[in-house]
Amino acid sequence: MRKSYSLDAEALPQDGLAVAERAWKSLSISGRVGLVLVIFWLFIAVFGAFLSPYSPSAFVADDVFLPMSAAHWLGSDYLGRDTLSRVLSGTRYTVGLAFFGALLASATGTFLALYAAVSQGVLDEVISRLMDTLISIPSKIFALVLVAVFGASLPLLLLTAAIIYLPGSYRIARALAVNLNSMDYVEVARVRGERKLYIVFHEILPNMLNPMMADFGLRFVFVVLLLSGMSFLGLGVQPPAADLGSLVRENMSGLQDIAPAILAPAIAIATLTIGVNLLIDALPQSGNGKGGH
Amino acid sequence: MAQDLAHRRDVLTGLTATAAGLWVPQTVQAQPKPKRGGRIRVACMSSSMADTLDPAKGALSTDYVRHYMFYSGLTQYDKGLTYKLALAQSIETKDRITWVVTLRKGVTFHDGAKLKPADVVYSINRHKNPDTSSKVKPIAEQFAQVSQTGPSEVTIRLTTANADLPMILAASHFVIIKAGTTDFKTAIGTGPYRCTQFKPGVRTVGTRFDNYWKSGLPYLDEIELIGIPDEVSRVNALLSGDVQLISPINPRSTRRVRGSNKHTVVETKSSLYTDLIVRQDAFGGEDFTLGMKHLLNRQLISKALFRGFATIGNDQPIAPNNPYYLEGLPQRTFDPDKARFHFKRAGIGRTRVPLFASPAAEGSVEMAMIMQEAGANLGLNLEVKRVPADGYWSHHWMKHPLTFGNINPRPTADLVFSLFFKSDAPWNESGWKNAKFDQLLTLARAEADEAKRKSLYGDMQTIVHEKGGVGIPVFISLVDAYDKRLMGYEPVPIGGLMGYGFAEYVWWGA
Amino acid sequence: MRVGLLILKRLGAALLTLWLVSLLVFILSSMLPGDAASEMLGQSATPEAVAALRLKLGLDQPLYVRYFQWLFGLMSGHPGQSMISGLPVAEIIGTRLPKSLFLAGLTALVSVPVALTIGIVSAIYRNSFIDRALNVMTLSMVAVPEFLVATLSVLVFAVSLRWLPALTIIPDVADPASIARAYALPVMTLCFVVVAQMARMTRAAVADQLDQPYVEMAVLKGLTKPRVILRHVLPNATGPIVNAVALSLSYLLGGVVIVETVFNYPGVASLIVDAVTSRDMPLLLACTMVFCTAYMVLVLIADVAAILANPRLARS
Repeated sequence: MRKSYSLDAEALPQDGLAVAERAWKSLSISGRVGLVLVIFWLFIAVFGAFLSPYSPSAFVADDVFLPMSAAHWLGSDYLGRDTLSRVLSGTRYTVGLAFFGALLASATGTFLALYAAVSQGVLDEVISRLMDTLISIPSKIFALVLVAVFGASLPLLLLTAAIIYLPGSYRIARALAVNLNSMDYVEVARVRGERKLYIVFHEILPNMLNPMMADFGLRFVFVVLLLSGMSFLGLGVQPPAADLGSLVRENMSGLQDIAPAILAPAIAIATLTIGVNLLIDALPQSGNGKGGH
Repeated sequence: MAQDLAHRRDVLTGLTATAAGLWVPQTVQAQPKPKRGGRIRVACMSSSMADTLDPAKGALSTDYVRHYMFYSGLTQYDKGLTYKLALAQSIETKDRITWVVTLRKGVTFHDGAKLKPADVVYSINRHKNPDTSSKVKPIAEQFAQVSQTGPSEVTIRLTTANADLPMILAASHFVIIKAGTTDFKTAIGTGPYRCTQFKPGVRTVGTRFDNYWKSGLPYLDEIELIGIPDEVSRVNALLSGDVQLISPINPRSTRRVRGSNKHTVVETKSSLYTDLIVRQDAFGGEDFTLGMKHLLNRQLISKALFRGFATIGNDQPIAPNNPYYLEGLPQRTFDPDKARFHFKRAGIGRTRVPLFASPAAEGSVEMAMIMQEAGANLGLNLEVKRVPADGYWSHHWMKHPLTFGNINPRPTADLVFSLFFKSDAPWNESGWKNAKFDQLLTLARAEADEAKRKSLYGDMQTIVHEKGGVGIPVFISLVDAYDKRLMGYEPVPIGGLMGYGFAEYVWWGA
Repeated sequence: MRVGLLILKRLGAALLTLWLVSLLVFILSSMLPGDAASEMLGQSATPEAVAALRLKLGLDQPLYVRYFQWLFGLMSGHPGQSMISGLPVAEIIGTRLPKSLFLAGLTALVSVPVALTIGIVSAIYRNSFIDRALNVMTLSMVAVPEFLVATLSVLVFAVSLRWLPALTIIPDVADPASIARAYALPVMTLCFVVVAQMARMTRAAVADQLDQPYVEMAVLKGLTKPRVILRHVLPNATGPIVNAVALSLSYLLGGVVIVETVFNYPGVASLIVDAVTSRDMPLLLACTMVFCTAYMVLVLIADVAAILANPRLARS
């Protein structure tokens, strides 16, 4: 009676195009907008560097903060570099770090929360205390310290993002799991003599997926924003490379001129984050209508 | 005679002398008559828990401004890298080793106490005490003995002759505090303003001191000093009317400020520089150094980074506005071919060369990117490592083969050479050693004849240009911006904000 | 009864967490390059000067000695002195914390009702135009970097229109009008940051409950929709909602360094950045203790609210 995902296992042997078509049709309008945006930015993230008209670190323009022109479609940045090239090659840092950082945080957080909620007792306490320890240190400060101690390499930025957003995911997941754990149908299953693992994966997890996906979407946004917040404090991806947030930050003095150098990365961040969230919102909602035991 | 000395140097630099003891406003002819009253708020770059009222600990422009507001020194900086007498009525010397300072009479501290020789002795001697943690301890080491020699006389004996002592004493670190002061929760000085509020990291408020020793000064009733670290916010605060004076601004913001008809910018040509440091013990020494120097695209750095608010540098630290500047030294230029030639001789190949830059050294991250790009075009594998500002000076500066330094304007050629280029100087950035340079430095310091002195400093500039381990692409101009109703503001090349001393000179013309 | 026990249990847990945080912060910050002595002397440091200052500040002692000194000091009510300024840590935080609390309180006063309304309305009118519009709106608010929102708002409201001040300077005479003017821009910026998460979690939680069969049953029984939502849906959705609110509020205390910097507001968030960059350990530790306590109080309130609202949890 549970609605299945469009991309379920049974669909795999079928023609890929047909699956895609079915998935597309199952999406709402906003979901389709989200999907298009996400695919677009994924494409840019993977191939953007090869599409750059100039080297992103080359000083090619005659002046700084140039407006759009035929030679420089998105004008030039605060040092006279080509904005389009910088956005094209900067996207992969933002997308990569945010996606994997958020995924790592959400997945680990959900897993730990389930584990804690179901086992309860001492283990729950220990995990919760550790999470409290991490979360009660303000994220930007934590990032500031971690980067200062361990450096700003890409794997470290990823890990920093994951560690910072793990406790948040955990808390939300745990609240959900504890709530669900006290639901009648879970108790019924327990009385029925089901194993813990079964209860977790069949009764609790499916009912958590929807809010946790929404949470993942927001975590994604948060990592993007954390990166830009870190650029405010002078941390972040090593120059001459720059993630989208750093691109906004480094061109701040072009704000009053409404230079494309600051608009382009800002719009890129906005469409990317909105796209991800619209898509996640529109995904088939699993677990709904369940609980009719 | 110190007065003579002052006059002589002023004549040499082509500037009119200011008579000691008699203060003449230098701006009256150009501006409307100064008037009393008014209150302004001033925003500097930084303000933190490290803000201090202890002149010995002053580290940043906000500190210097604060110290000149509340305290006075024996001497003061003037326009054109010269000095004028302040709390000292005269400074006399025969051998430039023993200096006799006669104190101005009738000077009172903010609490009503009279200025005494003991205050001067205490204020200068404390820099040598390790417990003071003075920023100028290395400079203070040359004070062999400071003692009271009369009812209003102090004698300073130096370890070696130094003709620049009056200039050195004008630094904000050497302002005069009351003898025995150890607590700096508030400031009791003889400066133009009384400290009425001091909250580190928040604000400093100064109220006009009515018994200031320069009669008629200062003009403003009150100055509030705050720090806005974010440059864009600083400019916004000025343009919105929340503050009346900001320092510094990014050259990119000058157009914005000038676009407002209520505000203006002032450029102070200074000898501030951010330099590329090539440690001489790494990567094959001389050839590698020359290669890096030829890789510096000075024109691009001046244009892209500083929008022309800079003076092209020539790998030696004396700026053209210094009286001892040597004309005619051949200008080193961006020359990829020469750079390639030297890198080949150094045998650097495709070795990955890390280049450490930090926001702590102004513009260094951008300079590093410009060098990285230029290097990549000729096969040099430079890897930019941007590190946070905190910890940079203690853990990175001069500690890797390639780093950046940031050297604030120093009042004298001797100071910049002896602090940063002498073989055994603690901050000999590149770790270069040149015996001839060291000899010239000692000779020049003691030399009384200005022409001879200038030629000695010229020789030293040539040596540093040719053999030194640092690349100095440009001298960075300091750009301040202010509300046009603020009057009497003019550049003093020792630093922004009229050499940090604007507080006693400006008035509110609204 | 149950709540009393929970609070007692939490008190113990809180002490444990505080201790863990202090340990973590102490270890991490001791790994930072440089210490208070080298940062204080900065570029003008010489090895002798640094050594002398270290001795003076007690930084020459082994790490564990310094930790226990600090810990015992704290337990006897003396959180120590700031290494950089020499002022007592309690005094520094005492002047900064009320300002942070005030800003956070004002922001909460505006953002929580807005977020809850948006979330509940979106959930009720799920997949309608209203829902989508609100969704895109909240997403757009959070999709712009905080410093851009802050700077842009200053540019528009302070520089161009000149309606509001660019800096949040607390007026000497605090009448409501001048306070509102001073705080308008930072509060607006912070609302941009926190509304989205609270609204979205509210929507998700309420929507989840609306899908439960009991809602349908209640409607079939003849209860009106507002009544069902107020009496049944909201209590059940309280857990995740109050948690999201608690998280957002704790962010408002410690995470607002950008807003504090742009508006030059002397709160605790910029203080802690100061403490990190100047390696001022006593100040850093005290600040993190404050944040940690604030966070746990908020979470405790959230948990108590969740229990009180959901009788099922109270029973188990």
